Amino acid sequence: MTTESSNNGSLPGLLEGVRVIDLTHYLSGPYCTKLMATLGADVIKIERPGTGDPIRKFGPFPKALTPSPLPDGEEPHESGAWFLYLNTSKKSLTLDLHSDAGKDILKSLIPSAQIVVENFAPGTLDKLGLGYPDLQKLNPALVMTSITNYGQTGPYRDWKATELNLYAAGGLMYITGEPESEPLKEGAPLAQLGAGQTAFVATMGALMHAEDTGQGQHIDMSIADYATNILENAMMQYSYSGEEYTRVGNRGYGRAAWGIYPCQDGYVGIISGPDTRWPEIAGIMDREELSDPRFASRNGRLINADEVDALMLPWLLDHDKVDIFKAGQEAGLGFGFVATMEDILEMEQLTARDYFVDIDHGEAGTFRYPGAPIRATVTTYPQSPPCEGGEAAASQSSQVGQDNSAPLTDGRPQGGRTTGSAHDHWVYYRAPHLGEHTEEILGDALGQSSGEIAHLRGQGVI
Amino acid sequence: MTTKHQANNGHSHQPLKNFRVLDLSRIWAGPYCTKLMADMGAEIIKMESLSVYDSHRGPINPARGIAAYPDCEPGDEPWNRNGWFNCLHMSKYGISLELTTETGRKVFEQLVAISDVVIENFRQGSLERLGYSYETLRRIRPDLIYVSMPAFGNSGPWQKYLAYGIGQEQLSGMAHMTGYRNEGPMKSGINHGDPITGSHAAGVLLAALRYRKRTGKGMFVDVSQQESAVSLIGADVLAYQMTGKEPERRGNRSPYFAPHNSYQCAGDDRWVAISATNDEEWRQLAKQVGGPELAGGSRFSTLAGRMEHEDHLDELISGWTADKKAYDICHLLQKEGVPASPVMGGPDLLADPHYEARGTFVRVNHEQVGEMTYPGIPWKMSATPGEVRWASPTLGQHNRQIYGELLGIPAEGIDDLETQGIIGTKPTGSRII
Repeated sequence: MTTESSNNGSLPGLLEGVRVIDLTHYLSGPYCTKLMATLGADVIKIERPGTGDPIRKFGPFPKALTPSPLPDGEEPHESGAWFLYLNTSKKSLTLDLHSDAGKDILKSLIPSAQIVVENFAPGTLDKLGLGYPDLQKLNPALVMTSITNYGQTGPYRDWKATELNLYAAGGLMYITGEPESEPLKEGAPLAQLGAGQTAFVATMGALMHAEDTGQGQHIDMSIADYATNILENAMMQYSYSGEEYTRVGNRGYGRAAWGIYPCQDGYVGIISGPDTRWPEIAGIMDREELSDPRFASRNGRLINADEVDALMLPWLLDHDKVDIFKAGQEAGLGFGFVATMEDILEMEQLTARDYFVDIDHGEAGTFRYPGAPIRATVTTYPQSPPCEGGEAAASQSSQVGQDNSAPLTDGRPQGGRTTGSAHDHWVYYRAPHLGEHTEEILGDALGQSSGEIAHLRGQGVI
Repeated sequence: MTTKHQANNGHSHQPLKNFRVLDLSRIWAGPYCTKLMADMGAEIIKMESLSVYDSHRGPINPARGIAAYPDCEPGDEPWNRNGWFNCLHMSKYGISLELTTETGRKVFEQLVAISDVVIENFRQGSLERLGYSYETLRRIRPDLIYVSMPAFGNSGPWQKYLAYGIGQEQLSGMAHMTGYRNEGPMKSGINHGDPITGSHAAGVLLAALRYRKRTGKGMFVDVSQQESAVSLIGADVLAYQMTGKEPERRGNRSPYFAPHNSYQCAGDDRWVAISATNDEEWRQLAKQVGGPELAGGSRFSTLAGRMEHEDHLDELISGWTADKKAYDICHLLQKEGVPASPVMGGPDLLADPHYEARGTFVRVNHEQVGEMTYPGIPWKMSATPGEVRWASPTLGQHNRQIYGELLGIPAEGIDDLETQGIIGTKPTGSRII
């Protein structure tokens, strides 16, 4: 697909009709609202006039020589990788929330919205008179989701943090890396993005509750709390036995032949379990010594970990990562390989499933974006399910769109699982230019005339 | 921390109280998805086989001394005493059922008929081999939402392949960009692929339930754990296309800020994470670290200078942190507005005043384990806070309740099912990876 919007332009997203006022910036909040926007919600991203979401300044940019980040005072770029990816399918409205006129415009949008998401430091919106108690007066069913480093309460509420600090404070860092070296963070900002995902879950639940009962609420999502929530191994071990979990480098905890190893053209993931499958490995690696009964059990391999590694390495170093991966998989072992960005873009499994979406941004150019993280497919099927009706009704009805043109062979519903047409409910548009939708939103939604809009622009409100 | 017993206060107001999920999922990705739903009041019925129970329960005969058990003691029923299982299934019902018998299949179909959602993360096609595809289940329950989450999704050349969370870190590119400088890729201490997929799936599943409520339409939710994980490194996928350069492994350093690292402190394996994201934070940090080299106008006063001389900068900061306590450094620096946090281990987390004040962890009493500390509900919701309603179920704990009260099978019928080995509470085997 190479279009500004995929999905044939005719299918509604799952969240069609839901309006989200998006007061987020950087990473955690924008990933939360990206999930909403690509599921079809009308996400209005409110940005500071002139500069916008600070992540707009973060590279890399398509033009190789652009410094990153940009010096202060320079015009924001529209085309940084982070901004483009995290803000697909959103609209951009510039608004100065420190001005009375800006506050009024925001407030006038609240009655038409179901959800507000923000990730300012705790108390910031309250000081502006735009906190949950203020907004809730305008819309009692409003769901407001606040994502912050340490939450809205507690002694570290106002602590400053980056991803590094949050990964550390959440307990994930202490158990990552080599035992004799410093604890290590992930390369990707998984604490912030994961908190954004989790805030999305809570927001969906709160939205359903608000629609059932008319009762809105405020969600307090802490990135640090999220990190501790996924620390099941270390947390539970210490809680249950008082034994502290440690760093084990690339070996599995309490395991051997379980982790990342070098190979001829990169790195592979070896998984030596379950025990019943271990004998396959000696065959795959053509190394009779690996069949030694001393290595047959998980514990046996652990005691003799160095010896097992030494026996595997020659074969690994002599073979390509994809071949090793497939040799394991064909024998029923969950091998992996360390995929580079190049590998991911070319990965046969992802292309066969039509995972990527090509989006033309204009200024930035066309790139392949990772698509739907989860495929949700409404199947349109005859009025009565096939087995009960005996014969399929001739007409297929669809409540999800008048979609006679959509091909059945668009690659999504494979494996013989669906009998009718089926589609993903994800909608992809390029990330917006700063303030791109300001006039549209102020004109259409708020009934501002072009003269009033020009006035607001002159005052720097928008 | 407050102790949670089998309380049920406020459950009638929970957002998902009217939804029933038949949960066949195992290990972590699927159970984390249904844990998040249980946290908002959904009725989760976790179904296990006595011969292949959730392997997070651990082996049927584990060695002594494994730290996943209370005081490293597996006890008589180790499958009910494993902390890794017990932290993921709180507030869920636990039943057992064998699908290999005709009677068991009939009971399963009764359960499907009264469920809003069926979720599984078997190897692709496993349930279909037992005769249960989305198509067949939809005949039993036309508006069913069926969530299938095999490693690579339900189509494509790798659909039969297996992967665990550790493999998804590799195949999604996460491992590629993680590691010490000038060294190879590094796995994380957990398996990020699992919770990422669990929460992605939970969010989309809720959107699907809401959609069904409005349209009456069920849905097939096809989860590729790999696609879910790649979605979190999307910016790097774009960056590669823009620059032609693969992401660099930088240890704890940042491409945007310096200093940005973990520094050793006083004590055994004690560390503090410090970052300065602008010149003002740097000036405050420099003032605390002190020394002639960091005084005003030094080569470190600009971001470019700090990044160019980052090795030396890290040495100076390490020299300052080496004889101080991690927590003391954090309080000192945060007072001046500098991002700093202790690198917390298990004992820090459970004793930390911030997590204590927020109730991040909960104490839950489990009949075979006693009262223990667990990760709680990851969010705070003002109107529907929810709570941990009961401890993770022992194997087949709620058989009588679900089969009797929910399906209306009389007591003798349930006895028969037990006698025939179709349900029960004692495992007949285990398959552990």
